[in-house]
Amino acid sequence: MDETTLDAIIARYEAPSGRLLGILGEIQDQEGYIPRETLAMLAEKLDVRLSQLYSLTTFYSYFSLTPVGDHVITVCMGTACHVKGAPGILQALEGMLGIKSDTSEDGKFSITTEDKKFTLEIARCFGACSMAPVLRIDGNLYGYATKEDLPTILAEYGWEP
Amino acid sequence: MKITSADDLEAARQAGLQKLQPGKPRIAVGLATCGIAVGGNKVYERLREIIKRDGLDIVLTKTGCIGYCREEPLVNISIPKKPLVILHKVTEADAEEIIKQVSRGKVPTDKALCRVPSWDHITGCTLEYGKGFTRIPLYAKVPFFQDQQKVILRDTGLINPEDIDEYIAVGGYKAAMKVLTGMDSEAVIKEVEKSGLRGRGGAGFPTGLKWRITRDAKADKKYIICNADEGDPGAYMNRNEMESDPHMLIEGMIIGAYAMGAAEGLIYIRAEYPLAIKRLKLALEQAREYGLLGSNIFGTGFSFDIGIATGAGAFVCGESTALVSSIEGRTGRPHPRPPRLTDVGGGLWGYPTDLNNVETWCNVPVIIINGSDWYAKIGSEGNTGTKVFSLVGKVDRVGLVEVPLGTTLKTIVSDIGNGGANNKKVKAVQTGGPSGGCIPVRMFDTTVDYESLNRVGSIMGSGGIVVMDEDTDMVDIARYFINFATGESCGKCVPCREGLKHALLLLNRIMAKKGTRKDIENLALLSDTIVATSLCGLGQSAPNPVLTTLAYFREEYDALVKP
Amino acid sequence: MTPGEAGEVDTPKKQVTITINGNKYPADEGEILLGVAVRNKIAIPHLCYEPSLDPYGACRLCMVEEVKRGKREMTTSCTLRAAEGLEVVTDTPEIVKHRSILFELYLAEAPKSEVIKAMAARYGVTKTRFLKKLDSTDLLGNKCVLCGLCVRACTEIMGAAAIGFVNRGPYTVVNTPYFEPTKDCFGCGACVKVCPTDAVEMEDAGDTRVMKSWSGTRVPLANCDCCGKFFAPKGLATATLARVTPSLREEIAALCPACRGKRIAREEILALSGGAERHG
Repeated sequence: MDETTLDAIIARYEAPSGRLLGILGEIQDQEGYIPRETLAMLAEKLDVRLSQLYSLTTFYSYFSLTPVGDHVITVCMGTACHVKGAPGILQALEGMLGIKSDTSEDGKFSITTEDKKFTLEIARCFGACSMAPVLRIDGNLYGYATKEDLPTILAEYGWEP
Repeated sequence: MKITSADDLEAARQAGLQKLQPGKPRIAVGLATCGIAVGGNKVYERLREIIKRDGLDIVLTKTGCIGYCREEPLVNISIPKKPLVILHKVTEADAEEIIKQVSRGKVPTDKALCRVPSWDHITGCTLEYGKGFTRIPLYAKVPFFQDQQKVILRDTGLINPEDIDEYIAVGGYKAAMKVLTGMDSEAVIKEVEKSGLRGRGGAGFPTGLKWRITRDAKADKKYIICNADEGDPGAYMNRNEMESDPHMLIEGMIIGAYAMGAAEGLIYIRAEYPLAIKRLKLALEQAREYGLLGSNIFGTGFSFDIGIATGAGAFVCGESTALVSSIEGRTGRPHPRPPRLTDVGGGLWGYPTDLNNVETWCNVPVIIINGSDWYAKIGSEGNTGTKVFSLVGKVDRVGLVEVPLGTTLKTIVSDIGNGGANNKKVKAVQTGGPSGGCIPVRMFDTTVDYESLNRVGSIMGSGGIVVMDEDTDMVDIARYFINFATGESCGKCVPCREGLKHALLLLNRIMAKKGTRKDIENLALLSDTIVATSLCGLGQSAPNPVLTTLAYFREEYDALVKP
Repeated sequence: MTPGEAGEVDTPKKQVTITINGNKYPADEGEILLGVAVRNKIAIPHLCYEPSLDPYGACRLCMVEEVKRGKREMTTSCTLRAAEGLEVVTDTPEIVKHRSILFELYLAEAPKSEVIKAMAARYGVTKTRFLKKLDSTDLLGNKCVLCGLCVRACTEIMGAAAIGFVNRGPYTVVNTPYFEPTKDCFGCGACVKVCPTDAVEMEDAGDTRVMKSWSGTRVPLANCDCCGKFFAPKGLATATLARVTPSLREEIAALCPACRGKRIAREEILALSGGAERHG
């Protein structure tokens, strides 16, 4: 992220309440993750220590420190979705994308395919519980997802079997 | 144009009524998150195309969600002098037929869910729509809606949440004006106290008392915060309240700020609710334009504004001290109490702070307009008013249900929800999210109120009710919740961080059929200690799913271990 | 200091009498109960309490039962403040039951810490039923209990904020950003001093102080112009001396404390004797 863009984001958050998470949230939304250089730049500009920002980015699930693929698939693992088969959806997606979920050392669930096309993540709840199980790809929600639907849905984003 | 007098408000109200009932056909597409997730936007776009293509004089607008989520996408049709008709499961393909019928002053009856001859918006406005369409069932006779009592959800799915005039049209901001121009802080707090309103976030603390304590704290600055983190998976009442009727929340906060003497309010909202954030930001802007937020509101000298602070994916930030830390730009690790948020030195930036859930704030305008006596008659003694619940999971009729407190689980799950989906037998419900417990079907005569739910080992929580059926494995459910709590634990205190970790290991072993009776005993012992010694509510309640499933579904655990 | 509290540092505190296990003790009003107990050598285990910092509430070991209106409520003694009539009891069966499980969790979490083993044994716990953490790559030698004291000392007392909590929940660890050497570390060693389980390690190797626990952070040491010994972290020495006004004379600033003392003493003697050196 270049400095002008970062300055513009910072300028949108004058009030101290909600400032840090707001700025980090915008960086995450724009870049898909929090680049290391950006975090260091931010520490300087806001006169906070890097370790404090690093604590924030590793504590909160919304932030990723590693780049994501072209498309981000997020499976909701909320209670209603769990009860309606979300674990099966997650497993099917792992199979389709050829990746394995293992509990990473930092507790964040985010795996990217080798060709960097897809990143698979989980969310705790989108609040669309009435249409469980719910899937989100690049900001688009898909309700009542079934394993059978997955190939068609993913094909829209350039997935090939 | 600033609203500074009752006349100004009335002028805006008339403008809003013109929009709601424009004297020509009006089509409103349900565009809250769930409506959009099942194609609502496509329906909207297609309708727009056709209206433009044929040059028709039809108003097309957005609305929120009326709560019958299973039937989304929902579309409202209002033809002058006819009842409002709600169409369900509308697809793009239906658009042509809808427009064709509407241009003739009719509606496609095969897609109609129900009709609404008139609608009471509770805040002093009843909209008369009209007579006719008698073949379409009445709203009040639709089984899903029949036993509900809409107070908080009075406007959702009917008005356009992106237009403040429509909120004012149905009685909005009258309560704020009444308070700011004609009541003092003590009068407002007394009304809230007498209403019996209790915190809708789950703890059920008397709201009036919390306001009084905050008001009485001696400091030159106070804050009010709205907890819109809604971290419980399965709960989305607050999301709908904010996406479908954001001004209700804003009005409640204006009244509270006035009563407590706060000049700044904050809405802490989870990042996973982008549409709610967008609609709130728009609503705040519109309120500022009308002078309802900012300096010298209604010319009374009272100044107040609201900012938005986003969360970043941490369930623990629903806990009050963690929430405040988060707003202050720190990690969401709770603080021991005392000091409490309402104490000097204990709140946001060290100032006394009142924190209330979205739905608690939303109750305030109706209490002010209709009076505490009216409010206290709803529900039962000590548990007054209504509560919105999200009825989800393996239940037939999924959606948002609003009932008076004191209604039984049976009414909610069987009468309103129509029991198990796909003809399966209901086995249990889980209330209160990850902090709550599982209640077996044999105890469904339990009334839904704070004390009754506590007595059976669960909690009300924010209102999520997840239904489980005969195919649900209750040990798997316990494991699901412990896994959730482990991932969401802030990690500060040992019982929660280490205790839950080992509880999960035990549950994994039991579920893999490698466990023993001793493991089950250890799981129970560990759960008790986590409850008794954790620093905050997350740890103190995380073992509840384990404790309740052990109490009510012990046979399922026993079946997994050697005798 | 928080808004609303002004100038409370020097005003004498009101004296109150509190009761612990039936015995009466004097205390300052508002004093932390755990502090009163420690002062009076009453055994209440604790790990994360530090008098110069606000109560943290992480270790959950300092449990007592507060007697209120005939009822007893278990609570942490680091959050109880002395007030007239406050009554608590320690080591009730309820406390012992839960505390024992907690110690088992500690033994599993920090199996290599002798301090934890000794503390647990003191309160009757010598083994754990839970799976022990044995990670050979742990930079804190399987001794850390995440009490937070190192982070808080570094941030709130020293103002360096070189280390912090990373991740959350069971994945929480303490270390530097990106687990790399950090330039923000003063090398002051407050973290080592304050750690209750001896988990944090540092080592002076020649002209460098190596913060072994903090991902190999190396801090250059200043050496004495006179005797050549390495006596303090360079950055810390410079930063500290920069705050001294009027500033020390350059010749003394670059000396180790021992040589500085000798030099100043010699100058004083010379001044007293009018400039002549006398050997007695």
